[in-house]
Formats: sequence, structure tokens, C-alpha cells
Amino acid sequence: MQMMSERTSTRGSMTTTQTDAADRAAELLAKIAENRSRAAFSELFRQFAPKLQSYATRQFGNEQTAMDLVQETMTNVWHKAHLFKPDRGSPSTWIFTIARNIRFDLLRKNKKRKDDISADELWPILSEQNDSLDDGYALDHDVLMQEISFYYAQLPDAQRVVIEKIYIEGKSQQEVSDALGVPLGTIKSRTRLALKKLKELIVDDN
Amino acid sequence: MIIKSHPGEGLLYQYAAGDLSAAMTLVVGTHIDMCKACRQTVCEIEQKLCEENLDTLVSVASTTMSKSQCDQMLEAIFASSACNKQTRQPNEILSLEGRRFTLPRTLAHNSHRIGEWSKLVGKLWRAPLTLDNGNQTNLIYMAPGAKVPEHTHKGQEATLVIDGVFNDEKSEYRDGDFVLLDPSRTHTPETQDEDCLTLATLDAPLHFTSGISRLLNPFSQLFFR
Repeated sequence: MQMMSERTSTRGSMTTTQTDAADRAAELLAKIAENRSRAAFSELFRQFAPKLQSYATRQFGNEQTAMDLVQETMTNVWHKAHLFKPDRGSPSTWIFTIARNIRFDLLRKNKKRKDDISADELWPILSEQNDSLDDGYALDHDVLMQEISFYYAQLPDAQRVVIEKIYIEGKSQQEVSDALGVPLGTIKSRTRLALKKLKELIVDDN
Repeated sequence: MIIKSHPGEGLLYQYAAGDLSAAMTLVVGTHIDMCKACRQTVCEIEQKLCEENLDTLVSVASTTMSKSQCDQMLEAIFASSACNKQTRQPNEILSLEGRRFTLPRTLAHNSHRIGEWSKLVGKLWRAPLTLDNGNQTNLIYMAPGAKVPEHTHKGQEATLVIDGVFNDEKSEYRDGDFVLLDPSRTHTPETQDEDCLTLATLDAPLHFTSGISRLLNPFSQLFFR
């Protein structure tokens, strides 16, 4: 498990710029999901389209196919933003897995037949169904909304208030920061700590 | 339940990068459904792949999108309608020989691909799971006391225990155990008092070149020759 500890340290050394970019992308995804905000999507698009294009060009060595990957990936992001789960990973990792699926299908496009399996069936990351996995690891939004209230009581008040504003009232971290008069960095760390604590509580309970 | 036999790190990387065949992706993905440790590892690998492939922008000057290209694509995306592919209900119950099995998530999503069960020699049953052209995996059901004569494999074979237990000369395999066999190894799978449902595949490229192609499944060269 040496590999894992290395990865953890990589994540630990993530720069503030990267963390801020990830938080910003998560806010944009939330705005797209809630308000179908075209401005938010345009900003996200400008951030990710060049990166996707670079990835796809290296994968396919063909500019047209690369552009197809960019367009199909970002089309999924536009329509499926509500399926992004902030507690499961960063926005860029989520977008990467969508691109990975599109690539899988594009590579098979030429010989593909009607009933052939598609990437979405193999990696159901964009499935609307709430698949329950065999333990508490998959903590999805519905679980948060319906069953978690019992666990709220066990959080420190300061963390609970932040979580309720974000998950129940649907506020962004910046809005919570403004509303409470608390620095944004503090809101972010409270969110992280609270989600971590909730996850532990639920896993232990199972 | 402790799973003791897992896909290697290299295989998990290929899975996360989307570089495996559809068949191998299905078998590894089903193991991941059942295995929390590998699920965690794959999350970390996906993050690492993302950092290498997406976060680090390697600018290729000639291919950078122009502003008008960006605007054009944005327009096309806003004009697109949400693709409502008809989603099939996952079916997670499999009934066979009076037994009911619960299928893990990825298999449940693909239950409509499971073909007819056919009885092989002895106490074995097989159902094909058709994925795409030339790619197939098999569900193999071994009743209690089933034994497959010693054999080797033409290609690399992956077997995943969905439910039950079987053993060969080397070890015993239970729910969630993932076993990769290479062509050099001979083995004799058998069940004792319990039955066993497995998902098994051969490595696709070898599948194609071997010429035995679709009928080839973990045990089929014995039954179909």
C-alpha cells in the first residue's frame, strides 16, 4: 500500500491555487445545476475546454475527433451537473471520468453496432439511479438529505450550520461566508471537516 | 467479508484509464462494486490520472481553440437537448436452479445482456453475457460437488466469484475474489459442499487472434472440442 501513501502526500501538497480553482469549479457546477446558469457554464468551459482538447489531441492525434470529445464531454457537464457529488472527488476528476468514458466510446465508434455496450453501462457515473453500494462509502445526495439529519446532531454547531446552509438551503460557500461574516477559508475547512465526520459516523454505524 | 484476491495495481490503472476491453472492464468493475479497498484505490488513481492528463495543461500551440470556436461550441451545447437515453431498470436478482443470487451494481446494470443458460457436462451451467463485437464474458454456475478436469488456458483468464466458493490446487476463492490466470498455469477448479456463481472472461486481444473466438470461455475448450 505504499502507492496509497504516496498519493495521499501528493494530495496533501496541493497548492492553494489548485484548491481555489477546484472550489471555484464546484461552485460553478452548483450554479449550473441549480439555475442552468449559462455564465457559470461559460466560465467552466473556458477553464476546461483547452485542457480537454489537449488531453484528447494526445489521445487521438486527430483534431476533429479531439473536438468531438471536448464537445461531448462538456455537453454532459452542462446537462448532468446535478450529478456531481462534491464529497466524492474534485470537479476536475469528475470531468476527467466523463471524458474517459467519451474516449472509450469514440475509440469504438467505427465498429460499434446498435446493441454494443457503451461506457456509461460499464462506469455508471452519470446514472440517475441511486445505486446503493454495499457499505457507507457511497454517500450520495439523497442519503444526505433523507437519512442524515440524525447525524447532524452529533456535529459541532459551527459545522452543522455551514452544512445546513450549503446542503439544505443550497448556498455557495461564498454566500455562507457573507451571511455568517466568517472568512471563506474557515467555511471551506468547516465543510470539509463536517463531511469527513459525517462519513465516519455513517460508516461506523453500518 | 474479507476479499483476499484482488486485481493488480496495473490492471486497476488500465481500468481507470479506460484502456481495458469491455469484457475485462466489466469483470474488474464488478469486483470494484464488491470491494471497498479497490474502490478507494480506483478513486485515487482517477485523481492521479486527472492530475497527469487534465490538470497539467500541455499546450500544443497549433491546436488551441480560437475564441470563435469556443463561442460556436458553447452555442451548440446550449442548443443541445438532454440526451434521454432509454435507461433500463437494473435487475439485480438472478434465479437459477432454485437459487436466487443478488447481482452487484455493474452486473445488475447489464443484466439484460445475460443470455440463455445452458447446461454443460457435470454440474456446470453457463450463460453468455454479450458486450460487443467479439467480446463476451460468461457467467458460470457450479453446483456443489462440481469438478472441471485439469486444463490450461489459451489466453489470460479473469474469474470473479459473485457468490459462493470454489477452489483449485492452489487456493480457495470466495465472494469478491478476483483471480487472474495466465496461459502457463494449469488448474482444476472444483466446488465442495457449496455452489458457486462466477463471472469469467478471456483477455480480448488473445480472444481475437486465437481463432477460437467466441465459444472460448474459461472451461469451454473442454466441452466444445
